[in-house]
Amino acid sequence: MAMIELKGITKVYATQGVETPVLHGIDLTVEEGEFVALMGPSGTGKSTLMNLLGLLDRPTSGTYRLHGQDLTELSDAALSVIRNRRIGFVFQLFHLLHRVSVLQNVLLPLLYTDPYPPDARERALALLQRVGLGDRVHFKPNALSGGQQQRVAIARALLNEPALLLADEPTGNLDSAASAEILALFDDLHREGRTIVMVTHEPDVAAHASRVVTLKDGRIFKDEGRR
Amino acid sequence: MERAQAALALPLRKTRTLPLPVGPARLWRLCRHAAGALWSQKGKAFLMMVGTAVGIMLLTAVVGLSEGVEKRIQGIMATFGPRSVVVFAGGGRIEGPRSGSSSTLKPEDAAAVRARFADRAVVAAGLFRPGVNVKWGDQSVQTTVVAADPNYPQAFDWYPSSGDPLDVDDERSFGRVCLLGATVARNLFGDTDPVGQRILLNRVQFRVKGVLSPKGTSAMGFDMDDRIWIPLSTGMRRVFHVDSLSFLRLQVREGYEVSGVVEELTDLLRTRHHIVPPEEDDFRVRTPDFIAQRIRSMSRTTQTVGAALAAVALLVGGVVLMNILLLSVSERVPEIGLKRALGARQTDIFAEFLAESVLVSLFGMILGVLLGLLPVWLVPAFFPTIPMSVTWKTFAFAVVFSSLVGAVFGVQPARRAARLDPVAALR
Repeated sequence: MAMIELKGITKVYATQGVETPVLHGIDLTVEEGEFVALMGPSGTGKSTLMNLLGLLDRPTSGTYRLHGQDLTELSDAALSVIRNRRIGFVFQLFHLLHRVSVLQNVLLPLLYTDPYPPDARERALALLQRVGLGDRVHFKPNALSGGQQQRVAIARALLNEPALLLADEPTGNLDSAASAEILALFDDLHREGRTIVMVTHEPDVAAHASRVVTLKDGRIFKDEGRR
Repeated sequence: MERAQAALALPLRKTRTLPLPVGPARLWRLCRHAAGALWSQKGKAFLMMVGTAVGIMLLTAVVGLSEGVEKRIQGIMATFGPRSVVVFAGGGRIEGPRSGSSSTLKPEDAAAVRARFADRAVVAAGLFRPGVNVKWGDQSVQTTVVAADPNYPQAFDWYPSSGDPLDVDDERSFGRVCLLGATVARNLFGDTDPVGQRILLNRVQFRVKGVLSPKGTSAMGFDMDDRIWIPLSTGMRRVFHVDSLSFLRLQVREGYEVSGVVEELTDLLRTRHHIVPPEEDDFRVRTPDFIAQRIRSMSRTTQTVGAALAAVALLVGGVVLMNILLLSVSERVPEIGLKRALGARQTDIFAEFLAESVLVSLFGMILGVLLGLLPVWLVPAFFPTIPMSVTWKTFAFAVVFSSLVGAVFGVQPARRAARLDPVAALR
């Protein structure tokens, strides 16, 4: 069974009576363990597709199956549980809470996890250790470099052992050294067998992926490296 | 900021979510998280709580006053007994100095009242003189002398703790015998047993027949034990040389309405004194109920004004709180988007912001109660006539009203936060 199954996904934004179609019938299947790069010029619907995959938005039509479960009709509460337990997000702008420590940032998803895992702190510390920030756990995010902040965000994304890791231009705000570190981390995660979907417009970033899906004008234009 | 505005301007997304309750464990986590958010912006949090604090401060003072008044009224009831009626000589509508002559109450009035109410009440007549000099050997004190008829102990429910009461024989024979209040006994005699000793009262020699049981301080702050009782006849003829009384005291028996007695008594005295309304009475009939009502009505204006000010402060504070929280929501749009991505339901976001609102109100309440306790403690210290008191009601009112402010005025910001479109919020 495929992990992700999109069938005939369309998305039309309606603002003040004007309808703007963004996605025109996307069919996409992602298997467990794939590292997919979503490419394409800006405005082609990469981010929209990403938001649909992340259950932050609902398609106008079409079906989305995750592990065979149809998600189209689920309530906000049910989708929130899936986001919490099965999807990890990494954003271009990191989106860390600057008022709390690095450790608290990593633990943030557990605000919404019931029951609260008893080994949460150990898990978070182990993840921070793993992304090379074991000595920074009580720092505030402001005290870290961009690359370090993104590694905190990755640790946060991994806390609930998600089945699917979604990354939206994770290196878009980083210099090349930091980008290399982050991409190496994603390579590791891929080797461990995690499923990753990453939006990027840089071909050398996409080169890290096992499969590159290119969008153009809201349609899948190219799909290379598919298993 | 523009991004934030854009996200706020988006139409509300329709979802089929009911506002599910948040489980206790998660609610606790959200509250702790909300407390952290408040702590990280203390300045804003302080502004959010000022109005609530001022409102609760006023409320604490108002409740303190009302509780103090009730406490004083209970004291009056305890001192006078709820079934007592007292007639004072001299007119005057309310408390304070009597107007006109104070020699209007005659022994004949007492006899008439006694005859009319014999079956319904114990009637005692008396004379009351403050500041009388009393001597024992070279000891001397100023005290109040009450000359009362033998019914007085029964009407007042007040008996000697040692020695004997004043009796009918003492009254009939103009006996020069007295009962001492506990304070007088202590001041004059120290450790000596006063019973049987002889004292000088206005240069008339008296034998101490007994010592009254202590009554303590009255609700109005008088020492009830600072007094001497003598027979009424002795007081009128031998000591003060008057032919009028200061007061009549009726103890209404169980089974009879106090209010009926008051009405009939008033009519009887008016008739006897030839008073036709609207002429003013030359006597005053008082019951503990009456006094209680007077005290209540005196404090009512203050309480009403205080309560109104408290309400205004809470309302204004609530509106300020709401607006600052709305501002906070628009500043934290990306944070809200992030939390949605991490698995927050709309309900969770709602709960989180409502928790911030309620928590900040509760902190404001603590501040307000502390500030409000200052007048509650200080005012009676400097103005002993103004009663103020703290009971559980003070805190109950504070908790209820502050959390109400937080809950009511937090709804709008919390709703706005919960309904943000996560996609727009993260952009």
